[in-house]
Amino acid sequence: MNRRELFSGSIGECAACPGQAGAELIPNVALRTHDDVPVRFYDDLVKGKQVIINMMYAHCEGFCPMITSRLVEIHEELGPRMGRDVFMYSITLKPEEDDPAALKGFAEMHHALLPGWKFLTGAAFDIETLRFALFRHDHIKLDLDLQVHAGRLRIINDSINRWLHVAPMASKATVLQHIAWADPPKTLAQRMEDNRKQQEQIDREVERFGYRKVI
Amino acid sequence: MSQFEADENMHAQDPADSSPTEGLDRRTVLKTGTLLGAAAVLTSKKSLAQSVPGTSSPLTPPQLCGVTPPVSPATRPFLDDLPIPPPAIPVILNPAPTKAANTSHGEAARASHQRWDEFRPFLNYRMSAAPSLHTHHADLLPSYMWTFNGRYPAPTPLNFYGVPSLVRFVNRLPEPAQNTTFGVNEITVHLHNGHTASESDGFAADFFATGLFKDNHYANVYAGVDDFGGIGDPREAMHTFWFHDHRAAFTANNNYLGLNGMYIVYDSKDPGHELPTPGSLRLPGYYGITDIPLILTDKRFCAAANGRNEVFQVVGRGAPGGDKWVVNGKIQPKFKVRRRKYRFRILNTGPAKPWNLSLIRPNGTQAPITVVAVDANFVASPFVLTDRPLTVEVAMRYDVIIDFAAFPAGTSVYLKEATAQNVGVVVADPALGLPIGNVLMRFDVVNRELLFPPDTPALPAVLTQMPDPIVPDATFQWNFTLVDGRFLINGLEFDHNRVDHVVLKGSAEEWTLANDVAAGNWSHPVHIHFEEGRILSRRVRVSQNPDVFQDLALLPEEQGRRDVYPLLPQHRVVMRMRFRDFVGRYLMHCHNMNHEDAFMMVRWDIVDSKQELTRRRQEIDERRRLAGLPPQYTQSKNGGLA
Repeated sequence: MNRRELFSGSIGECAACPGQAGAELIPNVALRTHDDVPVRFYDDLVKGKQVIINMMYAHCEGFCPMITSRLVEIHEELGPRMGRDVFMYSITLKPEEDDPAALKGFAEMHHALLPGWKFLTGAAFDIETLRFALFRHDHIKLDLDLQVHAGRLRIINDSINRWLHVAPMASKATVLQHIAWADPPKTLAQRMEDNRKQQEQIDREVERFGYRKVI
Repeated sequence: MSQFEADENMHAQDPADSSPTEGLDRRTVLKTGTLLGAAAVLTSKKSLAQSVPGTSSPLTPPQLCGVTPPVSPATRPFLDDLPIPPPAIPVILNPAPTKAANTSHGEAARASHQRWDEFRPFLNYRMSAAPSLHTHHADLLPSYMWTFNGRYPAPTPLNFYGVPSLVRFVNRLPEPAQNTTFGVNEITVHLHNGHTASESDGFAADFFATGLFKDNHYANVYAGVDDFGGIGDPREAMHTFWFHDHRAAFTANNNYLGLNGMYIVYDSKDPGHELPTPGSLRLPGYYGITDIPLILTDKRFCAAANGRNEVFQVVGRGAPGGDKWVVNGKIQPKFKVRRRKYRFRILNTGPAKPWNLSLIRPNGTQAPITVVAVDANFVASPFVLTDRPLTVEVAMRYDVIIDFAAFPAGTSVYLKEATAQNVGVVVADPALGLPIGNVLMRFDVVNRELLFPPDTPALPAVLTQMPDPIVPDATFQWNFTLVDGRFLINGLEFDHNRVDHVVLKGSAEEWTLANDVAAGNWSHPVHIHFEEGRILSRRVRVSQNPDVFQDLALLPEEQGRRDVYPLLPQHRVVMRMRFRDFVGRYLMHCHNMNHEDAFMMVRWDIVDSKQELTRRRQEIDERRRLAGLPPQYTQSKNGGLA
């Protein structure tokens, strides 16, 4: 087997991962929230839901604060959907350092104690299992390097088994669009209506610029 | 020609024709579909005899075999004949195609077709994406796939330069609630590498969901319409195209499920027949008879269950790829050839595996393969491969000529792939030193029957003139890197809302494609949409000093026009291309579909005025300034940004 086949892609996509993936692909590990509430990751947090997941740690001074503040913006945009049908989970990469209190402190500092958003810690082995299941690259060097996993949002809608990823520092519009790509399916009538609105936007753009500029 | 059977029925019974005008609910769509089906009976006797997958009897969604890669079941070699995708049959579309998107009747939103009145479509096709069952081998049960018009590979539209066409891509894939596969029921179809206006180019984020359709307008003109008038510069002719789903983040998934097919355009030089017409090169040219598509992919199959051998569905995330080699939808097929010349149009549909092919005689030695076209473009002169394999990266096409008159009737020759597949049964080596696992397919040589077309004349020494040398107006560099496990181009992942480079319509540029990953790491088959380019040089970094490069001699296949530029680690490819005739949003990406889905892709735009060019380039530099990056453009003498 050559290298190319061995490592056929970094973070890949699962629209519907095989065999009704959710339970099979996402470890149901025991974690604690920033409020020190025990939860099961798959059963309590992901099953049947649309979720946005990132990895961070409280003393991280590079990406994590930037990504967290980007998530605060996203949270604001999603408004009432947050905590109702969309959820955010920030999982610590350093469970030895980050107990629930430390995570709560980090969340407070970033004004991230918001509805539908949980910061999570747990046993080191369980966190590692989760990290591999959600962010694995199948590359020994990359998979062992914690820094690699800070710069990525994983979007999952378990009800339709759709997995996506997006760079959190892409524009807010782009991140929101990727989250929307995992939205629950719409009826044909709704899709036709969305399509009509999109056409209006295209027509406005073409009138203004002579061609399509934004999406 | 039984392999062409029943294709028209697929068209005739398409409920998407009913275009959800009022009710919009599924029931209305299905009911109207039934009416149309009934109408089809009047026009086609075979309609009801065929069970049309996905329409009259919806297919049961597959039960897949988990996430652990299985070993595919055993398949005995050479049981199946090589299938030939049937020619697509032009249809009358209802509602008739329109210049502006017909959104009220279910067309996906898009900008109006460019140059519509100039190149009004004459041949219309319908390609309906829907589930169907496909049997990959006589020893395997059918597999659930997503295909166009119920076939894998899709029927092949045969077109002519100067005769514009339009393909209505209809999405009839299952809704997410019924979808157990890893595909996504949202598609956007790219014709690789058509000189196509942006709104018909299958931009990755222009996907549309089940129930909608989209008309892609293919002008079937040579590049250079503005410069040369008429239908453009005939030296820009391309012949072997393919169309495939380009859905952002899910291209590998949807292609692996079967959403792709070939598309051929003929002209007087390559007219689709072998008669001595003026200007014809008289290459083997009867589609399906002496001009044969070979569409390659790799697949892995689950054990038999529920009357199916489902295709194992994991790409990316460390998936091992396929362990069966599939040619035109069959594993290790056989193909009867007469003792004369044949043309094979070899296409790698990915998702990720490159192919290294050679022709092997029964005594184990390599027989010559003559290459006449690379990436759909005739090479200046045919060249013969005798001592190295033909390397077909994802999305590349090679048109090759094999002269079977060199072999006595009754012998078999073999197409060999360098990596072995899992066959699962013990078979003696078919040729000396050729393990059965390395055999892609078998050619059985027979004498020509009386009515079979006689051989074509010897290949001409010169196939085509290259277009005038490209004089670039500007240069630009694209860096392909792997940083923190992310596949990046110029430091960024694909963002369909972000433009990374803007060019002026009618201009030409010199682009350097640089792969800076460590030696031995990833190579990237880089694909640039819109026009064919010319490779100027290929260099490789040869020392610890990052600025020391050594020029590599260009291989014969690199000396003509290209649209896929294989970029090995530490390589720099300098290429030039023009941007003529159309404006809009275009893509460049790694065509390893797993990398493409991980967003190793950029959007670049063509604009049609210098003012707009300057304004858009200022926007890019302003965005870069805010991100703390140096500007990408410099002030040029004439006041613009270069």
